Amino acid sequence: MPYKKILNSKYTSAFLSLLVCTVLSGIIIALMGENPFTVYAQLFKSAFIGNFNLGTTIEKFVPLLLTGLAFIVSSRVGVFNVGVEGELYLGAITAAYVGYTFKGLPSLVHIFLCIFFAMLVGSLWAFIPGFLKAYYKVNEVCVTILMNYVAIHITSYLVSGPLSGKTGISQTKPIEKSAALLKILKPSRANIGIFIAIAVCILIYYLLKKTKLGFQIRSTGMNPFFSEYVGIQSKKIMITGMMLSGAIGGLAGAIEVMGIYGVFLDNFSSNIAFDGMLAALIAKGSIGALPFLSLFIAALKSGSLGLERNTGIPKSLIDVIIALFILLVTMEKLFEFSKKRKKGKEV
Amino acid sequence: MGKFLSVIDYTIIHATIRATTPILLAAFAAVITQQADILNVGVEGIMLMGAFIAVYTSVLTGSWIIAVIAAVISGVVIAAIMGVAHLKYKGDIFAVGTTVNLLVLALTRFLLQKLLGVSGSYTLKEGTAIPQIHFKIFESNKILNSLFNDYSLFEILSIPLIIFFWFLLYKTVWGLRTRSIGLNPEAAKTAGINVYRRKFEVILISGIIGGLAGAHLSLGYSNLFTENMTNGRGFMGVAAMFFGAANPIFTAVGCMIFGFTDSVGARLQAYGFPSQIILMLPYIITILILSISMIKQYQKDKKRRSSIKA
Repeated sequence: MPYKKILNSKYTSAFLSLLVCTVLSGIIIALMGENPFTVYAQLFKSAFIGNFNLGTTIEKFVPLLLTGLAFIVSSRVGVFNVGVEGELYLGAITAAYVGYTFKGLPSLVHIFLCIFFAMLVGSLWAFIPGFLKAYYKVNEVCVTILMNYVAIHITSYLVSGPLSGKTGISQTKPIEKSAALLKILKPSRANIGIFIAIAVCILIYYLLKKTKLGFQIRSTGMNPFFSEYVGIQSKKIMITGMMLSGAIGGLAGAIEVMGIYGVFLDNFSSNIAFDGMLAALIAKGSIGALPFLSLFIAALKSGSLGLERNTGIPKSLIDVIIALFILLVTMEKLFEFSKKRKKGKEV
Repeated sequence: MGKFLSVIDYTIIHATIRATTPILLAAFAAVITQQADILNVGVEGIMLMGAFIAVYTSVLTGSWIIAVIAAVISGVVIAAIMGVAHLKYKGDIFAVGTTVNLLVLALTRFLLQKLLGVSGSYTLKEGTAIPQIHFKIFESNKILNSLFNDYSLFEILSIPLIIFFWFLLYKTVWGLRTRSIGLNPEAAKTAGINVYRRKFEVILISGIIGGLAGAHLSLGYSNLFTENMTNGRGFMGVAAMFFGAANPIFTAVGCMIFGFTDSVGARLQAYGFPSQIILMLPYIITILILSISMIKQYQKDKKRRSSIKA
């Protein structure tokens, strides 16, 4: 029956989680003595209306999209890359270093160099867990989590020692003008990084769907043994996929530095990559759905900043609501209205 | 050399135990679920919630015993949410765990502002923390005093706890059945084990331990609550669990490595080594040990297989 189909589609389920979450958080907001409707209206306004607000949403959207994409790419070869955060840090500091050491280059060349080296470093960093997983089955979740801390400490050391900008704050020298990405929607910090991000997203989609490498990647992810049997070098493909993921993570870091900060700031990320990973997880690994979910999370994040400025609602409350929403969305069977549910229960 | 000796002397033992305990408790919360094939990355969140609730209850009631109980309850509540989301509604456990971490991080930040009226951190007043255990007889000797005195409650309890968990998992029927779920859930089901219920139990136990870990962190280890005070200790616990392949004893060894490098590092800092380099040592050492042990095992397997062929 058609109505059952509509009820059981994943879009309905996502919509219903959103609805439940909206009502739930409305109640919480009302309990705090604020009118939920004005708060929601304010949240929407703070996320989209006006150059600054829209720009902040875009600024938050770009790293979410790229880190989410990095996570999806690695998961396609069957590796859980929790290390995107580390790749982001290393990519960022590399971009900053290349950005301020080279002088007098044409802008396009300079930007290309920064991005290239950031991606290179990111992919080399991801090579380590990829190699260990492919050849020796060392658990990648463990290695990548640990490597995040190593990466963050490395950048922190570099930025307070050898690469320090000597300004009192832990940051590098500012990058040359020729390496900076053009700002859009002033006075916000949004920049043309968004076009790079979207282009990369489309490119990866094409790569995975239409090319030989993409087929090998998908095949390896589904069954490495079978892939090996039919002549795909699944170990090498696994490492390639992981390096690709690392490169995207590095790119995300480079865009943060070149587009937003202009320097590498110690500890700048505050778990961007984990948010991106969540966007990827609720998109269920679909590259098509990822941009929408990233945008949604970005809008909530930037809206919450505006909300804190304009009302008494603290940002941390909105963060609670975001987490609640994601939790509801991850529950696949929460809104399943058919008899299948009973069957599922027995398992 | 004299410098070196003052870095590693008898006092390092106490320091290591101190630094190990929070990670060890977190690791056990991960061990118990991993044995039933659930990767619990939500330890960090459970622990953080426990730490906050412990501090808050301690402020309200002035009693650390009630505070520890409250922390355990809050841990169980968070664990129950994870259990429902993962087992009943089929949420990906990794996504659920990560979201729980996110949720608790924001929630504790919010509650810290609302309930305790501070942002950033809250320091406990005297007398509300978990008391340290002190024996008068050891006082006279400097070395004995350092080795045996002034441990917080859970620092002492952690050693019997290792043995308890080992016994529970490897010597009891409950443990055998739990491990069978981890090895092959279908077979376990065929053998009449209620996999769903067992997995739920395991998650709840993990909540109890996680809550204790949190209470220890805020009331036993540091006497304050700070935003994100777990600071990756839950993840370190998960890493130690992987290191020990979910075996309590080997996991404890993994935690010791963290604790030992951590306390050596703290001392080396005084000699002008860059702190960041020292801080990353435990992670690098763990990665190395993990990799070497897996590579060794791989070579052994390869040798065995080639001898079968020959």
